[in-house]
Amino acid sequence: MTVSKIFRYSFLAIINSLIVYAIPLTLTYESWFLLSLIIVIGILINIVYFSDRFLPMKWILPGMIFMISFVVFPALYNSYVSFTNWSTGHILTKTQAINILEDRVYTPENQKGIEFDMFILQDSNLDFYYVANLDSNNILFGKAVSDDEIFTTSYANHEPSLFVNNEFITPDGYYLLSGKEQIANSTTLQDLSLIIDESTRVQLYKISVFGASSGRLSSTSQLYTYDDLNDVMINNADNLSCPVVKDNFVCDGKEIEPGWRVFVGGENYRKLFSSQRIRGPLGVVTKWTFQFAFLSVLLCFVVGLFLSMILNKDGLKFKRIYRAIFILPYAIPAFVSVLVWKGLLNPDYGLINSWLGPLYEIFDIEPIKWLTTKESARSAVLLVNTWLGFPYMFLITTGALQSIPKELIEAAKVDGASGLQSFWRITFPLLMVSISPLLIGSFAFNFNNFTLIFLLTGGGPPIIGSDVAVGWTDILISFTYKLAISGGRGNLFGLASSVTIIIFFIVLVISAISFRYTKRLERIYGNI
Amino acid sequence: METYKLFNWFKEYGWRHLFALLFVTFAIYPILFVATNSVADFANLTNSKLIPDGFTLKHYKLLSSNPLVPYYKWLFNTYKVAIIAAFFNVFLGTLAAFAFSRLQFRGRRASLLTLVIVQMFPSFLAFVAIYLLFFQISDVAPIMGLGTHFGLILVYLGGSIGFNSWLIKGFMDTISPSLDEAAKVDGATEYQIFSKIIAPLARPILVVIFVITFIGIYSDYILAAIFLKDKNLWTVAVGINTVFVDDFNADWGVIAASSVIAATPIAALFVFFQKQITGGLTAGSVKG
Repeated sequence: MTVSKIFRYSFLAIINSLIVYAIPLTLTYESWFLLSLIIVIGILINIVYFSDRFLPMKWILPGMIFMISFVVFPALYNSYVSFTNWSTGHILTKTQAINILEDRVYTPENQKGIEFDMFILQDSNLDFYYVANLDSNNILFGKAVSDDEIFTTSYANHEPSLFVNNEFITPDGYYLLSGKEQIANSTTLQDLSLIIDESTRVQLYKISVFGASSGRLSSTSQLYTYDDLNDVMINNADNLSCPVVKDNFVCDGKEIEPGWRVFVGGENYRKLFSSQRIRGPLGVVTKWTFQFAFLSVLLCFVVGLFLSMILNKDGLKFKRIYRAIFILPYAIPAFVSVLVWKGLLNPDYGLINSWLGPLYEIFDIEPIKWLTTKESARSAVLLVNTWLGFPYMFLITTGALQSIPKELIEAAKVDGASGLQSFWRITFPLLMVSISPLLIGSFAFNFNNFTLIFLLTGGGPPIIGSDVAVGWTDILISFTYKLAISGGRGNLFGLASSVTIIIFFIVLVISAISFRYTKRLERIYGNI
Repeated sequence: METYKLFNWFKEYGWRHLFALLFVTFAIYPILFVATNSVADFANLTNSKLIPDGFTLKHYKLLSSNPLVPYYKWLFNTYKVAIIAAFFNVFLGTLAAFAFSRLQFRGRRASLLTLVIVQMFPSFLAFVAIYLLFFQISDVAPIMGLGTHFGLILVYLGGSIGFNSWLIKGFMDTISPSLDEAAKVDGATEYQIFSKIIAPLARPILVVIFVITFIGIYSDYILAAIFLKDKNLWTVAVGINTVFVDDFNADWGVIAASSVIAATPIAALFVFFQKQITGGLTAGSVKG
């Protein structure tokens, strides 16, 4: 056995023991998707590294595992989630929801409202003891315990000797707390209870400074019992039988929380396209996503091309310095630039408004409340994105311009073409040949430019009257984010996933166009 | 005659300088504004002076003294996550690229094509599923679940490894095959060809890809924001954009200082590798 073989087999042993460890856990938590992922990866690893038949895969698999686990699988999972009702209130599986419901307790009617005298004692260890005088047959005495200790404590005992002629006698070794001392300890006492039997306990109810304090029974009777034969939940308090309606148990027309996640077919998609209060905002967001991506590319391209044109001149001084500075905005991480621009655009103190101050005065108009109205927020987003994006366009157009043969332009000049003519007829078309795939790429990037939108405006200002959290500058991806994570209306994972699927398809179409347009696929295929 | 000369100069060059200067101002003003405010005694949003009245480092010091804003911890987290993820990204990408470039096997074209197609979709698109998947992983293996750097690194690894393998493969194709054929004749194993010949020769592109990946992860907001809930585990991108939301004017000096610290190393890397990065970007987009 060679060293490499020992190494290989011990590596496989470790991987397989991890898998064996993880599988029962995924079963317990009913994480079916994770389970299938683990099984697929496990099979792949074992096939590839046990046999010698898949040599090249030994090199590829390590990287591929991560791509399968965190790109391909999530994409599939995403499609699955979009067909479920997965959202706040429906996060759990049915078994988990039943377990939670079966842990709920209630106080039966016949035990409610009974009050009785309570005496609170303390022993030398400063532990608390309760004496509950329910009636002459039930004078219960025992250690008062917190919730964690309930199941490890013995039940209270009947101790008639504590009362003589209906007068309470403090037993030896204990100290009786006065009303004032009870108040001083009330936060501790609140959490303590005296355990009577499996389902009943005594808790301190009212503290009295003058007479005896009173206690109350509280029961831990199980509120719900699941009947798995009929698939109904029995409410023990009201003796109701609560049948399953889709994704909840329903008692007397009322849904019991929590529900569980179920497959709902195309309901999320129907909601997106038919519910007026979602369809409206979704339409606004989709339209703006296209406008935003298109205008961003256009503005950056126009500025970038203009700048590379004016620097594309022999004998121009400071060319290198200009170039170096034009690239700077691109070198700074977007999350920093956006933060700075947020400061510049601040409507009250920001420099943009103080510069525009004279203009506001001349034309006698209200200062623009940047980022707080639809128009100002949208213009601001485009302004900042132009700043962020023009350097890239400047770089690529500079490269492309330099690769256009000078003789072509000269020849056109000789033939009597004006500067503009030679630009539109020669330079621009040639430029577009090499630049257009990059423009499409840039469009696709801005289509999902979450960082800019979310950090600059948070998608705001909000669109009033919509059913979901959404704003005027939200693009599809930030809209999805709000639905799933931060919208303040819970986590609508199912609905959010269905929006993601729409984005997937749009990106697919954009890529298809770009492949078609530039014959990229053929080139790639010829290249490998 | 003089005016004519001047007019001619303007027509040829002058107007170009005019517009260039205009856009130089546009490009550089926000940067200078932040840089000077980070060292200005009275830093606030209205402070448009590019040469501050009084020079101070107090904003930088404030960043290390406020337990509510553990800035340097964020910085450390960011470097930790980005360096580890970028390293493994390049390492695993190189292994895969070697197989794609040097080994013949069935399904090679198909798998390469799959790589390219999968990478058209940004990995954060499926963030809902990633979140839910890691929600489940948290139950089974808490050390790599939601809220951990480990889990976040795993996601970053998956996100760009395909594209990186593709770029590295492209570079390896340009290394002459006669080198490894000669080695093979001399009895070198596959592993030796990789570690002694191909990997060392590919080092320039590996450095560039490491830098690109590092910058990408450093600048990520969405995945880090979804993953990390504990303030002490945040990255800079999440931290400064979560903490500085209310009183921009009062905090401006500190915001400026934190921006300068976060941006300078990245900008320096970018400027240093600018040719390779933009070359890689365009070559990548044109080729695949």
